Amino acid sequence: MTNQTVIKVGTGATGFWGKLKVALARRTEGRGVALFIVIASFVTVSQPLVFTAYQVTLGRIALIGLVALGLTAVILMGELDLSVASTLAVSGVIMTTVANQTNIAIGILAALAASVVISLVNAYFVAIVGLNSFIATLGMLFALRGLALVLSDEQPVKLENTDFGIAFGQPLVGPLTPRILIFFAVFIAIQVFVSRVKAGREFLAVGGNRQAAYDAGIPVKRRIFTGFIISGGVAALAGVVNSLERTAADPTAGSTVLLASFAAAIIGGNYLKGGKGSIVGTLIGAASLGMLQVALTISGVQVPVQEIFIGGVLLLAVLTDPSSLRAVWGSISTTFQGIKNSLAK
Amino acid sequence: MRKSRLVLAPAVLLSAAALVLSGCAAEEATTTETSAATSTDSGDAAAETFDVYALLPQGTDQAYGTTYLPEMEAVAAELGVNLTITNSQYDADKQASECEIAVAAKPDGIILWPAVGDAVRPCLEAAAAAGIPVTVTNSDLFDADKALSAGFSGPDTYGQGVASAEIMCEIVGGAEISIIQLNGSIGNSTAIDRDNGFTDTVAANCPNVTILDEQNTDWTKATAQQVASEMITAQGLENIDGIYAADDSIAAGAIAALEARGVDAADYFITGIGNTFMGNPLVAEGKLDGTVFQSSSWDGGNAVRLIHSVLTGAVSGDRELLLMPSVKVTAANATDADVAPEW
Repeated sequence: MTNQTVIKVGTGATGFWGKLKVALARRTEGRGVALFIVIASFVTVSQPLVFTAYQVTLGRIALIGLVALGLTAVILMGELDLSVASTLAVSGVIMTTVANQTNIAIGILAALAASVVISLVNAYFVAIVGLNSFIATLGMLFALRGLALVLSDEQPVKLENTDFGIAFGQPLVGPLTPRILIFFAVFIAIQVFVSRVKAGREFLAVGGNRQAAYDAGIPVKRRIFTGFIISGGVAALAGVVNSLERTAADPTAGSTVLLASFAAAIIGGNYLKGGKGSIVGTLIGAASLGMLQVALTISGVQVPVQEIFIGGVLLLAVLTDPSSLRAVWGSISTTFQGIKNSLAK
Repeated sequence: MRKSRLVLAPAVLLSAAALVLSGCAAEEATTTETSAATSTDSGDAAAETFDVYALLPQGTDQAYGTTYLPEMEAVAAELGVNLTITNSQYDADKQASECEIAVAAKPDGIILWPAVGDAVRPCLEAAAAAGIPVTVTNSDLFDADKALSAGFSGPDTYGQGVASAEIMCEIVGGAEISIIQLNGSIGNSTAIDRDNGFTDTVAANCPNVTILDEQNTDWTKATAQQVASEMITAQGLENIDGIYAADDSIAAGAIAALEARGVDAADYFITGIGNTFMGNPLVAEGKLDGTVFQSSSWDGGNAVRLIHSVLTGAVSGDRELLLMPSVKVTAANATDADVAPEW
């Protein structure tokens, strides 16, 4: 006779509240939501203009969030893509240069095609050669920065069809500009891919335990290629949008994008080691960061002080992670225990 | 128990943060109210006050900004201008976003210091559509955009390049020499104007000066030293007789690059622009042959005076220009009080 061990799974998951509790426990956005509420409360009290001029705030959220959404695709797999800032710059230069010689549609296609090539190179070094993604994409960051400067002859490239650029920055649906609409479209597309499509759902498995993902038959390398293509493609799209809105491509663009994008992803509860996180979390993180930045800008707070605020929010997001809290609590307990023991002696 | 502690801890932390942040906001609001009351009590009751956004690409994070901002704020307090100052850190996208915020806040006026000259057209159009007058400070707009602003105050950046070239032509005399040129940051209109002013004047006044090569920097000494060092390697030290630097920090970097090769910078023809705390002593020592005085306090103060003149209707019609005089500084006058460096 064989002894059978019955393991009861989700014993508390009965009834509506039980299921809700289990569902919430699985989510990683909890801290992001809490921070969002804190920031929203602060902003409501100090700078209500952030809400009354909501289209401006949405524009800032889209500026930070677009690149962050793409970046989350690789973060979920435990990889990093530092080249997004340079991809943004070089794609803007390519789009504007090609558009000036042909038309804007071809310019956009050329920029997106270039981003695919960049992403394939990044993914090749990470998935095939086995380089650490931090190092591989850091190299790409520098290479693309140089390429943007070379292609632009070290000058901003002015979009000849200035009227189109000016029109592109105007509201298209109600108060929403194309940038905001594109941002939400990208959010929905990546969210659906990561949560509803098998290949997308496997990103979390790849990030959670790569060996187990291999063993389960998940085509890990192919998923890494897909993730980098999403990350690079969205960064290129951000470069195109920025260049159209400004009516010029700046080869040095993106200097403040990289850190802001990572900050948005982290505030949203994404784990840089992969396996945990969500696109919704990144949206919440970008919204928190965008609102805070707009409020601080309206307040006339200088950049160094703004950085203290943003750094504080980032630290709060990381420190309120249960495992960090456990570590901090454990460290404090050990220290106090040590002091107590010494005093007792 | 342990679980509930873990849940409780973030909640307590977040609540504390909320309280602190709300407290800051409340304190800030109280301070603003107090200062507003004080200004009403002490000031002329009839004096009109204006809300103005100053969209700058730098602030106290750069040497120029540290002396530009205090004077700007002092003149604003004197004239009854309530300033909201932003700093885009030379990021055109960030400045564009700040401009959207400024237009949404509907101030009486906007002072704009373009981060990237080519990228400010949409901002100017948005301000014009909202009926908000814009004046430009420090770096002027490109010609096609000038009609969208009410005026410009700041250094005559082309004139500064001219003045630096005139110093170079004077010290070189009729000798056939070759120099390298280190410009400011890419796309910055000040860098472009100074470049044009220098090269135009050299071509016209001293064609015996040959510019072997030119490169951009980010206005910092460290980058300039690296770029100059690479240019010296590429051109050969023996082929270089002088250096034009678009700024004194750049000149200091270039001089450091020369000294790293074991040569005396005083043996080279070197000119800069700015008369900064870094550049002025180099002029006095004879390592930098000449520079052009630029007053950051003049720049900051006049940015507010110009927008105030526009808002009070003191100037109207043609685009107003307030240009800083380009005073040449050489060893002969480097220690004079009227050209004492400010930044």
